[in-house]
Amino acid sequence: MWTFKQSHVAALRAAAEKFTAETGTKVNIQAVTPDDAFLTKVQAAARTNDLPDVLEVHANGDDLAFGGAGLLEDLSKDVDQKWLAQYLPQVLTDGTVTPDVYKASLTEGSKTQGVQLGQRFSVPLTVGTQGVVYMNKSRAAKAGVTRAPATWEEFIDALDKVTKAYPDNGGVTVGVKQPSTALEWLMQPMAFGMLGKQKFEALFGPDTAQGWSSPNGQKVLNTYNEVTPYWMPGTQSKGIDEADLAFAQGKASFDIGGTYTLAFLAENGYDADNLMTFPVPPPKDAAIPGLQLSPFSLTGLSITRTSDKKDEALRWLKFLSRDDVAADFGKQALDVPPNDLDKKQSEALGPVLNSMEAAFGSGKNSYNAGYTAYRPSLYDPGKVGAVLAQFTPLKSRSAESTGTQMSSMLKSYWAEQNK
Amino acid sequence: MTAGIGTATAAGAGKGAGSPSTAERGGGAPRRGPFGALREKRKQAAWGYLFVAPAIALFAVMGVYTIVYGFSLSFAQWNGFWPEWNWRGFRNYTDLLGGSPTYWPIVKKAAVNTLWVVIAVPLLTVLVAFPLALVLNQVKRFQGVLRSVYFVPYVTTGIAVYFAWNYILEPNGAVNLLLKTVGLGSLQQPQGWLGNPDTALATMIVVMVWSAVPVAMLLYLTGLQSLDSSLLEAAQIDGAGWLRSTTTVVWPLMKPITVVVLLLNVRDSLQGFQSFLIMTNGGPGDSTSVLGLETYRLAFLSELSPTLGLASALGWLLFLAALVVAFINQRVMRRMG
Repeated sequence: MWTFKQSHVAALRAAAEKFTAETGTKVNIQAVTPDDAFLTKVQAAARTNDLPDVLEVHANGDDLAFGGAGLLEDLSKDVDQKWLAQYLPQVLTDGTVTPDVYKASLTEGSKTQGVQLGQRFSVPLTVGTQGVVYMNKSRAAKAGVTRAPATWEEFIDALDKVTKAYPDNGGVTVGVKQPSTALEWLMQPMAFGMLGKQKFEALFGPDTAQGWSSPNGQKVLNTYNEVTPYWMPGTQSKGIDEADLAFAQGKASFDIGGTYTLAFLAENGYDADNLMTFPVPPPKDAAIPGLQLSPFSLTGLSITRTSDKKDEALRWLKFLSRDDVAADFGKQALDVPPNDLDKKQSEALGPVLNSMEAAFGSGKNSYNAGYTAYRPSLYDPGKVGAVLAQFTPLKSRSAESTGTQMSSMLKSYWAEQNK
Repeated sequence: MTAGIGTATAAGAGKGAGSPSTAERGGGAPRRGPFGALREKRKQAAWGYLFVAPAIALFAVMGVYTIVYGFSLSFAQWNGFWPEWNWRGFRNYTDLLGGSPTYWPIVKKAAVNTLWVVIAVPLLTVLVAFPLALVLNQVKRFQGVLRSVYFVPYVTTGIAVYFAWNYILEPNGAVNLLLKTVGLGSLQQPQGWLGNPDTALATMIVVMVWSAVPVAMLLYLTGLQSLDSSLLEAAQIDGAGWLRSTTTVVWPLMKPITVVVLLLNVRDSLQGFQSFLIMTNGGPGDSTSVLGLETYRLAFLSELSPTLGLASALGWLLFLAALVVAFINQRVMRRMG
């Protein structure tokens, strides 16, 4: 089995040992990192028929692309209701070809080209969400911030207080070198809460009158701009890992990430007891006050089509989906499992993961970063995020010019899709 | 030693004395007909082909095959996983050259940045490397040590060095600290030298020049050390000072080396992207995006989008640009000469 998550290796190996004791089947776990090296390796191995039996993949991303290209087994007949009953309701269809996914796959140039409606190419291994703020608890306390901000205004106030108390390292960081991060992890959750689902999705729609240049779009951009004075110096030159590392090293007091960030911080020596986490909050006059984040599958498990041990591979996937195994895996890997755990198992995950789980919600008023059907299928968040980065932290664009450029890019993506 | 030479001489003499000429051999040995000679020639040719076969096979696989494959790919849409390519004709090229509102702005910005790099890096490299070589050539003591010191950037250049540069150029890095220490705090970059869109590209150019100077300097030094000293002496006798003899005698004689240095650096500037990938990833914003980096991003960092064909097309456009620049460079140098 190959995984692209180094932080999952030890937990997977521990599970593999238990699996071997139960079934006699050995599982070799190999990490291939970083993500692009993993993709290149899969690409090369696929061409030489050298793929492993099982892959850990980005759910609703790599799994569908690999599946469409014929590299993965369709698991739709193997994953039955009993299997699915173990998972959180929000992630049941993750890894499957839904009508939205199928429709998007028909666009020329779609990365999921080749998938068929109803196919399933992965089962969830970890869930979580983007838009989680990590705050240095002790610094915040010394600056007078003792509880998690519940509104955008309180968040800005907390930033202000901590930055005043720690002028050199009180700021906030996110890996703007990969510019989609600030857009998707910070601005979008705030914008969703501020405008509500319909108006938020309209910002990305084909009608530019409701896009980023519209009053709604400008309101979002101007509110988002309030974070500008508090960026950690040089945050625009940091990648995702570098930004997390800067936070772990104390160069920043706030870090924007996802549930998955915790494992990286812990790996790099950050004391999890010194953390306070909370979802990116919406403004106090938001359409959805007390916004919750809907979890979605972050990574999934897939079986390759060239595997000659499909039955063993399926047993391994089933084993990992068991509540007790998933809870142990989550605890060791510091990642949230997709299972609907009982209270005792959930508590075993630890207080930080518990607080993140507490921010999870469901329904149309919770923000699901994994749902992207409202965007054009060729939409590239990196390119749109690069424009946003010019607005803040770079301050080289006004809100008006940023809105115009973002709207123009969306218009061109829709035009390409409708060609 | 003497015996060896003697033996060789004796053997040579023996061969000369004892070997009959072709005419003399006619009666004893069977005469070779025209077919025999032809067979011999073919045999020799076969041996020749056999010896060059590994090189030809290697070139056929690593060179011709990849070139043909890459060129074909530039007319297709593929993400590296699909079982088949989608043929697009010239659309990859037209998309990159203005046809696509998505890709054209990116290519345009990257082309402008690349142009700056292609102009600045070779020129600055020559401007730094030539005087450095002149100075080093005059130094009588520790020349070897100094040469090694100046060559250090070349032998250490790599990913680790680019990371080291990143730390040096950070907001609280060595450059800002140095400026503050020497009382030039107003020149500090609070966002870091790579964090400010106005300084990022210029900083990257400085780093590239730093990497390129050692080889250029060594080439100039080699040229200077092989100069005919009588030319300089003649110039001095004619009353030329150091500056005059350097600019009118030495510099023109270094022209072939300058052409090589310029060409090498133009090529590196056009195609090199590793430093940009590691140090800035094209940012902040798109202030340091260059064509080589965009090609790499389209090929490997597009999250499985089928843009390998676009990457290939951009690669071929870069190749054409390199040809044109090399041609212009040569013509200009010829005219200057």
